[in-house]
Amino acid sequence: QAQKTNPSAKIAAGAVVCVESEIRGDVTIGPRTVVHPKARIIAEAGPIIIGEGNLIEEQALIINSYPENIMPDTEGVEPKSMTIGINNVFEVGCVSQALQIGDNNVIESKADLGRNVVLTSGCIVGACCQVNTCEVIPENTVIYGSNSMRRLQTERPQPQTLQLDFLMKILPNYHHMKKAVKVTSTPVRNQAVTH
Amino acid sequence: MSQRWVELRRREMASLLQPERVLYLVHGEKKIRSPLSQLYFCRYCSELRSLECVSHEVDSHYCPSCLENMPSAEAKLKKNRCANCFDCPCCMHTLSTRATNIPAPLPDDPTKTAMKKAYYLACGFCRWTSRDGALWGKAINKLIEYYQQLAQREKLERDRKKLARRRPFMPLAFSQHTIHVVEKYGLGTRLQRTRPGAPITSLAGLSLKEGEDQKEINIEPAQALDEVEPLPEDCYTRPINLPEGTTLRQRLLQPDFQPAGASQLHPKHKHLLIKRSLRCRKCEHNLSKPEFNPTSIKFKIQLVAVSYIPEVRIMSIPNLRFQKESQVLLTLTNPVENITHVTLVACEEGDPEDINSTAKVMVPIKELVLAGKDAAAEYDELAEPQDFQDDPDVVAFRKSNKIGFFIKVVPQREGLGDVTVSFKIRHDFRNLAAPIRPSEEGDASTEAIWLTHHVELNLGPLAP
Repeated sequence: QAQKTNPSAKIAAGAVVCVESEIRGDVTIGPRTVVHPKARIIAEAGPIIIGEGNLIEEQALIINSYPENIMPDTEGVEPKSMTIGINNVFEVGCVSQALQIGDNNVIESKADLGRNVVLTSGCIVGACCQVNTCEVIPENTVIYGSNSMRRLQTERPQPQTLQLDFLMKILPNYHHMKKAVKVTSTPVRNQAVTH
Repeated sequence: MSQRWVELRRREMASLLQPERVLYLVHGEKKIRSPLSQLYFCRYCSELRSLECVSHEVDSHYCPSCLENMPSAEAKLKKNRCANCFDCPCCMHTLSTRATNIPAPLPDDPTKTAMKKAYYLACGFCRWTSRDGALWGKAINKLIEYYQQLAQREKLERDRKKLARRRPFMPLAFSQHTIHVVEKYGLGTRLQRTRPGAPITSLAGLSLKEGEDQKEINIEPAQALDEVEPLPEDCYTRPINLPEGTTLRQRLLQPDFQPAGASQLHPKHKHLLIKRSLRCRKCEHNLSKPEFNPTSIKFKIQLVAVSYIPEVRIMSIPNLRFQKESQVLLTLTNPVENITHVTLVACEEGDPEDINSTAKVMVPIKELVLAGKDAAAEYDELAEPQDFQDDPDVVAFRKSNKIGFFIKVVPQREGLGDVTVSFKIRHDFRNLAAPIRPSEEGDASTEAIWLTHHVELNLGPLAP
């Protein structure tokens, strides 16, 4: 079967990344992260570093793209890297261009994060909410509603450990996985064959 | 052709189906123009009725989340709130119960801790939990008790007056039966509607039991103060923390306390909804009566206008130009099962109902014949083709109980603003509700009466 080979994608051991997901560019995925089929992680204008324990669901789009007024060929533009912390959840259909995302955040379905937003920890961006302001969202903020109202929550959302464990067990039964690739080690394929 | 043009054209076509484009005029206390889908038809008076010319009556109370029916007396007692369901004070969504395990000391042995289940309420939409809110005190109960007492006292006085001066020509409103009905159904009859200054009867039911001594509750009237606390010094300089405060809507949903801080929000019991029935004011027949079961959306009686009156819809509009004649394609649908004859008549000069039209219209002169609605026709392959001689200049197409026909429109007003035309549609209506009178000729079929409706169409703006 033709597997989309992406030599610059670094998938740590223990991450579950489905073959049907699209990973382009310089992307690092930490262990215990689950990437569903049809999720898209595109590193156009710089690398993307995803921590561990994240859950990226179907049709989610994490993209490090060029800002609107800068053409790809402009010189002197430094590639900015996008960092995503641990235990985040990117629900179905969300779009995230935020360059910095902390830990334990939940980005609900069809939410839209702009490039200049900085999510700290424990934030919940509600379904269909568009956040494209240029600001740092304080910890434990919940953004919800059609007017994107905000309020503070006293506790942070629980890490989805149960769901992660379940998915890590079940997804390989139904999908082919992208093999874990480390830059320094020998290709994993040979190791798999010998087992 | 760009994609944008395609999108605009598609949106324009979809908007033609919007019901507000075609309005029917209702002759009631007020002249109301409304789409046919929102009107009712009283087949005893043979007239269109809108929501404003019918009387609305409460049928039953139910909770929208647990769908529990509640008798009206119980609903009044519980202040129209469900006992089991709660609303999020933050976003007014329904709260769901969740459980956590918390370590709690066992009652027998305080040194050991065991995992106990603690329940809390959580909102799925804004993620508010009941652990965020604070416990509240009983601030307003004193006022409520006072008013209850007042209402009880007034009711006793009225009853005493009734029994003392019972006269035979007492108006119907004060008979025992009507009072009983009023108490059962709240403000059902028109005679008992609250007039300002009248004694409050609604709270009278929630009262102390007989025999209990009525405590005199003294309420301190609110006193106006001369001196007010000065504002804090940093009132102007302190940065505003928006998520910490409550919005006006959140605050007013809890009128007892009106919490200013978000941490003081407390869940409220869910408000009950009602099922209502509609009654024609002239003939007192029911126009709409829903079923009692909250899970059922059907009606016991449903006399809606779309199932009796032929409906006009706009199918396509060409580019309209000032003082140039264009042809607009309309469709006419027959909702009843027998053949309907429809005549269209343009409004005359100086017609008092014709106030909105901004264009001249030429309607087909001939009578249009609509076939009956045959529910089985779509399944019947061998259906006989309908044999109507249609003038191709007038009738564009015919499909079971629907025809498309042309009208000619000449816009009379230039500039911004929509082109509106109006005409009268006259059709025959067979009244199946009327009792069959034994006629002398032995004619069993019901007679048809001719109804006329004034219809207004909004054809959109002039082409640029």
